[in-house]
Amino acid sequence: MIDKYRWYEKLAIYAGMLVFLTFILAPFVEAFVVSLRPLDQVFRVPYRFITDDMSFSAYVTMWESVPRLGRYIFNSFFISCCVTLLALSCIIPAAYSFSRFSYKGRDGLLGTFLAINMVGSAVLIIPMYKLMLNLGLLNSYFAMVLPGAAFSVPTGIFLMRSYFLRIPKELEEAAHVDGASRIYTLWRVILPVALPGIMVVAITTFISAYAQQFLFALIFNSNSDLHPLPMGLYEFFGRQRIIWNELMAASLVGITPVLLVYIFLQRYIVAGLTAGAVKE
Amino acid sequence: MGQLELSAVTKSFGSAQVIKPTDLTIDEGDFVVFVGPSGCGKSTMLRMIAGLEEITTGTVSIDGTVVNDLPPVKRGISMVFQSYALYPHMDVFENIAFPLRVARMPQAEVDERVTKAANILKLDQRLKHRPGELSGGQRQRVAIGRAIVREPQVFLFDEPLSNLDAALRAEMRVELSRLHNQLGNTMIYVTHDQIEAMTMATKIVVLRDGMIEQVGSPLELFHMPKNKFVAGFIGNPNMNFIEVVCETTTAEGVRVVLPGGGSVTIPVEGQAAAGDKMTLGIRPDDLRAGAAEACLTMAPEVIERLGNQTVLHGNIAGAGQISAVVPGNLPIALDAPMDLGFDGLQAHLFDAQGVALPRRIDLSEMQLPDAAE
Repeated sequence: MIDKYRWYEKLAIYAGMLVFLTFILAPFVEAFVVSLRPLDQVFRVPYRFITDDMSFSAYVTMWESVPRLGRYIFNSFFISCCVTLLALSCIIPAAYSFSRFSYKGRDGLLGTFLAINMVGSAVLIIPMYKLMLNLGLLNSYFAMVLPGAAFSVPTGIFLMRSYFLRIPKELEEAAHVDGASRIYTLWRVILPVALPGIMVVAITTFISAYAQQFLFALIFNSNSDLHPLPMGLYEFFGRQRIIWNELMAASLVGITPVLLVYIFLQRYIVAGLTAGAVKE
Repeated sequence: MGQLELSAVTKSFGSAQVIKPTDLTIDEGDFVVFVGPSGCGKSTMLRMIAGLEEITTGTVSIDGTVVNDLPPVKRGISMVFQSYALYPHMDVFENIAFPLRVARMPQAEVDERVTKAANILKLDQRLKHRPGELSGGQRQRVAIGRAIVREPQVFLFDEPLSNLDAALRAEMRVELSRLHNQLGNTMIYVTHDQIEAMTMATKIVVLRDGMIEQVGSPLELFHMPKNKFVAGFIGNPNMNFIEVVCETTTAEGVRVVLPGGGSVTIPVEGQAAAGDKMTLGIRPDDLRAGAAEACLTMAPEVIERLGNQTVLHGNIAGAGQISAVVPGNLPIALDAPMDLGFDGLQAHLFDAQGVALPRRIDLSEMQLPDAAE
């Protein structure tokens, strides 16, 4: 490939990336540095980035300060997994239907889904509370899983639908000519071909479920055994003081499941899995 | 086995009728090619036979059974798509075996049938590869393998070679003809390429605007086209059409006046009155350099030298563009007027509506019975 940028254009590109990355990553760096400091040195003046007294001791003591930390991390992970599975089981058939069948009100329905997405969960939190109360779902995993899944379905449908639309119709026609039923074709042909798309949807759903569960847990759950990590972190807030270094350490440990899921799933996002299916 | 009949079949999308009422009989073992310009309805007709498009009115029957409401697999057909439509996540073996897996065939039989198909198509070294690792021609062969493994009565091909390059296409044409001889099944093949039609078909169906213009063997269509459209569509380079005026009709045929002033008798059946406007059709290969009784004068504007022959394109006074094929070693100058003669016997004559006057030639002289028979 020819080098199409001049040196000052390259400089501008890298400068832009630097600013962007600094904004994104600075909180993580600061969180990590704080987690290494002794508590009484966290608010040291003047500020020094690297000091001699840094250690990983907060990563050990945090399990003693908040004994149920492991449980909270597990809850977070468990809730997000349930949200992802539940959402996928709704998204895939819905997106397939939107992409392949034509029926009255299809486009209107799709528009409605997107419109709901615009409203956002915070606005609907009171009605949802009433709903959960009437259904008797408060203070259970369901209370956190159901809204999480519901709010990730519209985006998921949209993503998945555009992926299904890219799968050539001839694949289904060929399977149909060969005698395969729709369900068989969906299971044996369409889903395997759509696997990269499904993985993208699964990852985004998982990450957003991990991020948004705080709100649902705060409102719908008061059983501390079921709390996800963001709620659990409140236990580092003592009466007199907040254990900042352990709080930061726990936050960083808490996001490792997301990283692991991402690393595990992103292997399936292989570009060009459809290569060779049809001549483009 | 493999006899197919369309009767009064039509297809409408909304208010647009894309297939006008069509009757067609295809005999067992025929290699039928649907040919026509794009948008003529040939693919739609194939998809109706396949069961991928609903039939608006009329019936399609295979071996005497009306199949209008049967799914493709029950019709005993299989189809090869233009875009191959291979399953990218399965290897070649599983791609070919797919119809058998759907039918829940025992593994031993699957192995046997896939191996047989792979041998016919020379894919036995590729069975463990995925479609993405194959060349265009190999992918096309996998698609054909998937079609033949089920041993259907009728094969349908929807422009299967149009994605291949010219050399591969020529090779695959030969392979398809060989496959047809080997299997002996009925094959229906859609293409817009008249060379594919001429080389492979035992029967060509020429379509235009959802209507069958003519059905016949390649030579029949070439030598006795029913109208100007078929005459212009079959044959390469295309037939020249020259506006002429009828002089008289005699026992020998119709005598017409050429644009240059000369006149020629064309041995055709039928009557034409003196002064009728008609169209004379003459194939570029039937023109030869040099003066003759029937003679046209053309100044070549474009000269295509192919080596064994030279194709000339130019205008003749008052009659528009024509092409001629002359021997490759003939000296030719650009823009220098030259005489092109032809024999009335080779010419076609069309009336003002474009309908051909039947020529007095005997096609049976051009063919010997197959040696095997």
